[in-house]
Amino acid sequence: MMLYLTTFPYQDSSCIMGKREVQIHFLTLPVLFFSVMEERKSTEETPRNNALAQRRSKSYRQSMRSCVEATHLTYTSGLLTALRIPRSRKAPKSCDITKQVDPDQVALLVKKEWQLSYVTPLYQFRHTQLKSYSKQLSAFMVSEKQQGLAIEVGQELGFKVNFSVVLGLAETDKDAETVFIQILSKQVFSAKDAAPKVVWSGWLTCVNGDLDYLRSLPLEFVSLPLFCTRGPESLTVLVKTWFEKTFDCCFGPLGINSTNLQWLASLWTGCHPTINIQYLKLVWTLPTLPPMDVTYTVHPQDAWELWDSMRQVDTTEDSISIDEVTGFIKGLQSHFFRHFRIDLSAGSLMQISTALGSSHHSGKIKIASPNYIPTILQLLTECALLKMPI
Amino acid sequence: MGGSTKLLLQRLIRRIPYQMLQTMLGKWAHLSNADLHSLNFTQPKWVLTEHLLALCEEKGLTVKHITELEMIYIIENPNQGMWHGFQLLDAEEDAPSIELTQFKEQFKANLTELISHVSIKIKKHTDEAIWIRVAWGDNFTKPNHLKPTYVVHHLQTPYVFVTGMTSKDKPLLNQALVLATRYGSMKDAHLSGRNLIAIRDLLTRQYQQVGLGPVPYGPYKNPNIENEQPENTENRLQMACEAFGDGTLPQLQKAVYKLETKFRDNSNKTLTGRKEPFRGVVEFSSTNLLESLRHCVSSGMASTPVTPLLSSITQKGRNYFVITDKGV
Repeated sequence: MMLYLTTFPYQDSSCIMGKREVQIHFLTLPVLFFSVMEERKSTEETPRNNALAQRRSKSYRQSMRSCVEATHLTYTSGLLTALRIPRSRKAPKSCDITKQVDPDQVALLVKKEWQLSYVTPLYQFRHTQLKSYSKQLSAFMVSEKQQGLAIEVGQELGFKVNFSVVLGLAETDKDAETVFIQILSKQVFSAKDAAPKVVWSGWLTCVNGDLDYLRSLPLEFVSLPLFCTRGPESLTVLVKTWFEKTFDCCFGPLGINSTNLQWLASLWTGCHPTINIQYLKLVWTLPTLPPMDVTYTVHPQDAWELWDSMRQVDTTEDSISIDEVTGFIKGLQSHFFRHFRIDLSAGSLMQISTALGSSHHSGKIKIASPNYIPTILQLLTECALLKMPI
Repeated sequence: MGGSTKLLLQRLIRRIPYQMLQTMLGKWAHLSNADLHSLNFTQPKWVLTEHLLALCEEKGLTVKHITELEMIYIIENPNQGMWHGFQLLDAEEDAPSIELTQFKEQFKANLTELISHVSIKIKKHTDEAIWIRVAWGDNFTKPNHLKPTYVVHHLQTPYVFVTGMTSKDKPLLNQALVLATRYGSMKDAHLSGRNLIAIRDLLTRQYQQVGLGPVPYGPYKNPNIENEQPENTENRLQMACEAFGDGTLPQLQKAVYKLETKFRDNSNKTLTGRKEPFRGVVEFSSTNLLESLRHCVSSGMASTPVTPLLSSITQKGRNYFVITDKGV
């Protein structure tokens, strides 16, 4: 199954899956899984031709890495679920997000660095019960504190939890509305009428989630796969524990693999004509002893011209393909190689940033410009859905 | 003892790590053995600081004395903040024969002429280096002792190392040094780092002799493992050592290359003919950059022969480069 991803693109007309889509089938047949890996049985979807053998090189290693990072193979009990890793995306269009979402709420999301996690569908989560959830989580935190679990956030008088809905981020009618959670507390030594400070915030969202997947979920489940948090780790753990207990779900860390970092770099660079990205910064880490970081900051106009030269003539204005993305990054790596004779693909891409936002391999994202929120969140929602054990 | 003096002493004590405090105070000429014995070094630091402040106040110590203690601390622990290398050019006839007293007089005279409120302290260290501490004021304000500049210079060499200098003070310091050392001008050597010894060794190109002797470099050879293509490995190792050196390497943290070359990638037809440079800045960073680069070459991540862009770090003793199509 992993090999599907490595062999694309190939111009083989026997390919029934279409040129731009890759399907991962999670089947309960271990035989199929092992046979593909051991090359004993060839299925109709994996033609054995020379192109396959030739590609077992740098790109194979890279794709394998992105496969392992992106998928989590488990066996479902008889359910056939297909998730697509997109090979093309819609070019981001600058939109005035404040037309759809309350500007105050937008301000809560932008210009802050969020740590990402994925969460499995929530059982019997109701958007109408948010007030009750606020009270429950608050009570849970108090009880955990009384039990002696260290919270380490200083001497607070008590936590106040606030669940709210951020309307307008959902793109399709299958997307659940975004839920925003804030934990406020009053410091012991603050003035009597001082407003409580926000010590932790987080939000659950689903933007343009895979429709087939969402339709296949039983009705009692709400899918908000992307969880963004900001604040002390101890509070994040408390919130996750409460969710796991209340909604029978499961959290996990969501990293952003190098392919997705490349997507983000390209998507943001492509926005340069509309809004000045000011710089395109990419950071690779090379596995030398001691490890070495290589930061390549490209002039925005030059980066955009390189990106533009990658945009193939025959594709529509609207969509961007993975080939263009990899070509763009390869162009930068090759220009670098001509100077330093160091192959950057020996290392891993760890971080990319522009004035529109930044993103780190460990699963951190910062969106600085509100106009491109939907595109970024769509990409991240996809990552979360793919990472999730189904 | 004035408020600002007290603040200076407090900040200095806070800066010195507790383990070093006793040794530092011992080297300070203004506390007698009896005084040192009266201080209890097992107390919490803030308690000790209070006692020390009281003691200094009793003795009527001034800013001048406190700056001596600071200098003792910095000379022993110079790796705080960024050091920048400079090179003196166009030596005059008597430059090689400058003596310490002559240098001291000239430097002090020149600098005080240029800026009236300035505090200068010059000290010769055991390894023949002259350390200069300058606290800057201006025509209206007293020298600010909280942000001094430190200068290190070896007499009769054309190298100067500076830390804590602002762009405002740079031309004044420049001029005073040039006049005192009897050179024509001073230019930026484009070498900076946190480790003074490393900067010194790189700039003076002495690092191959300095150190604990040649440490044989190379991956540990297990006698039961035979490498395929050993000539390639040997070759890479040799080139790596030629470019960056054998044994212990000076600790450099960064190398910055400002690229202003045309886009070079033959597979990209659109950009290859482009006349304007493809601008960008590349920064290499590591806890020990030269070690990382050497390993990069010896392990094959970098192709040999080693590009002059990287070997220039050690060959030319600099870590900031502007690369244009005409060369470095």
